[in-house]
Amino acid sequence: MNRTGILAATAALFCLATAVSAQDVAIRNATILTITNGTIENGTIVVRDGRIAEVGSDVAVPSGATVIDGTGMYVLPGLIDAHSHMAIEGGINEGSESVTPEVILPIRDDDNTIYRALAGGVTSALLLHGSANTIGGQARVIKMRWGREADELVFEEAPRFVKFALGENVTRASSDAPDSDRRYPKSRMGVEQLLRWWFTEAREYEAEWKAYEESNDRNAVPPRKDLRLQALVDIMNGDIKVQAHSYRSDEILMLMRVAEDFGFRIWTFQHVLEGYKIADEMAKHGAMASTFAENWGYKVEAYDAIPHNMAIMADRGVTVSVNSDSGERVRRLYQEAAMGMKYGGMDENEALKMITLNPAKQLGVESRVGSIEVGKDADLAIFNGHPFAPASRVEKTLVDGVVYFDREQAMTLEKLLQAQTRVTTEDDR
Amino acid sequence: MSASTGFLPLFLAAGALVVATPVRAQPQIGEEGTFLIRGGTIVTGTGERIENGSILIQDGRIAAVGANVQAPAEATMVDAAGRFVYPGMIDAYTPLGLSEIGGINTMNLRSELGEFNPHMRAVVALNVDSEMMAVTRANGVTNVLTTPSSGVISGQAALVNTAGWTWEDLAVRTTAAYVVNWPREPSFRFGEPPSEAQTRAAREQAERETRELKDMLRTAQQYHRAREAGSTEWDQQYESMRALMSGQTPALVSADTEEQIRGAIALADSFGLKVIIYGGNEAWKVADELAEKAIPVVLGSIMSTPETDEPYDAIYAQPGVLHRAGVKFAFSTGSAANSRHVPYHAALAVAYGLPADAAIQGLTLWPAQIFGADDQIGSIEVGKLGNLFIATGDPLDIRTQVTDVFIKGRHVPPDDRHSRFYEKYNGRPKGQN
Repeated sequence: MNRTGILAATAALFCLATAVSAQDVAIRNATILTITNGTIENGTIVVRDGRIAEVGSDVAVPSGATVIDGTGMYVLPGLIDAHSHMAIEGGINEGSESVTPEVILPIRDDDNTIYRALAGGVTSALLLHGSANTIGGQARVIKMRWGREADELVFEEAPRFVKFALGENVTRASSDAPDSDRRYPKSRMGVEQLLRWWFTEAREYEAEWKAYEESNDRNAVPPRKDLRLQALVDIMNGDIKVQAHSYRSDEILMLMRVAEDFGFRIWTFQHVLEGYKIADEMAKHGAMASTFAENWGYKVEAYDAIPHNMAIMADRGVTVSVNSDSGERVRRLYQEAAMGMKYGGMDENEALKMITLNPAKQLGVESRVGSIEVGKDADLAIFNGHPFAPASRVEKTLVDGVVYFDREQAMTLEKLLQAQTRVTTEDDR
Repeated sequence: MSASTGFLPLFLAAGALVVATPVRAQPQIGEEGTFLIRGGTIVTGTGERIENGSILIQDGRIAAVGANVQAPAEATMVDAAGRFVYPGMIDAYTPLGLSEIGGINTMNLRSELGEFNPHMRAVVALNVDSEMMAVTRANGVTNVLTTPSSGVISGQAALVNTAGWTWEDLAVRTTAAYVVNWPREPSFRFGEPPSEAQTRAAREQAERETRELKDMLRTAQQYHRAREAGSTEWDQQYESMRALMSGQTPALVSADTEEQIRGAIALADSFGLKVIIYGGNEAWKVADELAEKAIPVVLGSIMSTPETDEPYDAIYAQPGVLHRAGVKFAFSTGSAANSRHVPYHAALAVAYGLPADAAIQGLTLWPAQIFGADDQIGSIEVGKLGNLFIATGDPLDIRTQVTDVFIKGRHVPPDDRHSRFYEKYNGRPKGQN
């Protein structure tokens, strides 16, 4: 086989998952980390119609089910990445103006980051607009149904989300652009005032529509439709939930106070590297947090980041997830979660929640995914050891009960080398 | 967990007078002394494991190791019972000490003007009070190779300790390697695909730089031979390259593709240079040749993604492949902020096929050997620097806590930017908002 042949074989393997349809599956004799109901040793999970039908140590394998031998394996709920820019068509920033909530991200289905995320046990992700705008575009939630078309990747039950951003990126503070190329706001102070100005506008817009709809005047003219203001109204009413890119504690506090003044809450703070300084305030506001485990010092507003951030926030009642924000980290989110135990002494299940149940809550899909419970989607990651142990890797990943990643079927470096050795040997003959 | 008790406020019983205790200022890098570490399992880094062993550290060096070690009366006892003692880990490629906060130009002066700077020495520009350095050593990374960047020859990388009072105190080898970046066409991975003219210009630039690199080496070789023969003519740049041309100090050549790696090998052959490959994403394609020529590899960050047409695990699995082929390698992060997490790069390699023992060697003895410093660091052996750490378990396991760090025989306290912020905000009275 020449190199082209090998690539063709790889491509064929990538596509394999699409040929498999959902049928009864039983994962047998595995250690099951349910997240919500402890650990089940020598357990069995039965999957029917893409959902978890049975879980336990005393569960019979139905006849006709495809059996996956879980001996020595650990099964987790499929991992969930609460901050990703994979699978987005075109750029991730509508960088023209600083307030663009009417924009909705288009999904692209051929980004092989999806496949590589699956190979790291990830089954769902929140795709976010970039951080160029104070109020950016609307997000998408996907499942990693690799090989299917864009529309079929959409996680149907997920609510609508919008990206907010604060600090250096929206003020373009670290940009080398000359002043003339800059735009308002240019300071954290400006960010606050911009937010207040727009939400005041949106409030007036809502009032105009309300007045029109309640009016008895048959000749009343409807107000002009404004998609941007309507999106802001939807944000104030909680119909679009806020995912806010943030770093410093001052700006996090500011945004919570602005939101409170306009009657809404910040759903999840993203990055939130100084969340540990202000965890009580976040808990009281009701905001969740999705952060990095180890990233720090890559810019000034990330200089006070500490890896104990996750543990402190969790300890004070904030729902914490750890995310990738990267096509690289998404392949090893379990390493990031383990940092919660190292730094600040989180217990194991709390640390595991940061890549399962907690991001499920942040994506608004915790009734469907995030734990191994009867009735939930059969989104599962099968590891060859404890996910926090150093020698562990993902062997299989299922979405809706379908195996979308299987290391036995995947093109690995080992298999490529073996194929090349075979070619060389044949050439020698 | 780790922060020094000196920062904890002292609470007395209600009614009693609260005496403000002054915060005890600890010397940030610890005092040199005589220490007896005892009761732990010693993983020496040479393949040996000593249960319930002891290590005597004296005058900055390891004075004795074994099951029965006699300690002088003045030795400070360090209890390692139930824990493990490892040689200090080494990050074999990082800007640590030269770089601090990203994006701030003045905190990242790693690059001199021009393409050829063999005379630039990283060691003289190291910031001993880098916050990132303190964070690094707290996880048992006691040594790093700090590298200058950019151009074709960036300068001289220094192999240093991660604690010390001056850069002279930090230095283990002031010139451990010459950093060479194999000329390559700039990547157009992001944004619009390049035009034909752009592609041509990029290729021509790479070809020109390769020519210039060869020209410079040729001149440096002639210069070196003339000096050996007694010439008194002196040139700053060529003088700085004599250790390279004599084969005494290696060139650390950044090369990722098979073509680049083969280019670097051929260059080393033609000038008789000692060479180390850095990055080496496609080193597995050249593994047999690297093994045959005993050319080691400093692996680029394992935490990076393979090219689209490579197997998904190509970078994770490569160390295992190189190991089987007999290629010696070292792990590196390429990062200042996360140099501390170099063992977790190695852990990924273990998950995808590298034996765990080899991973430890790739973090300790092998980088020491690769940079010619195995007489100083890399294992727990008598006569080497007292660079080691005590941990609750396997250092490749993220859950393991590093409890004690010794660098140059100093018992370095776990005091860094992270532990300070942790103490402060973990101690914030709850619910006061």
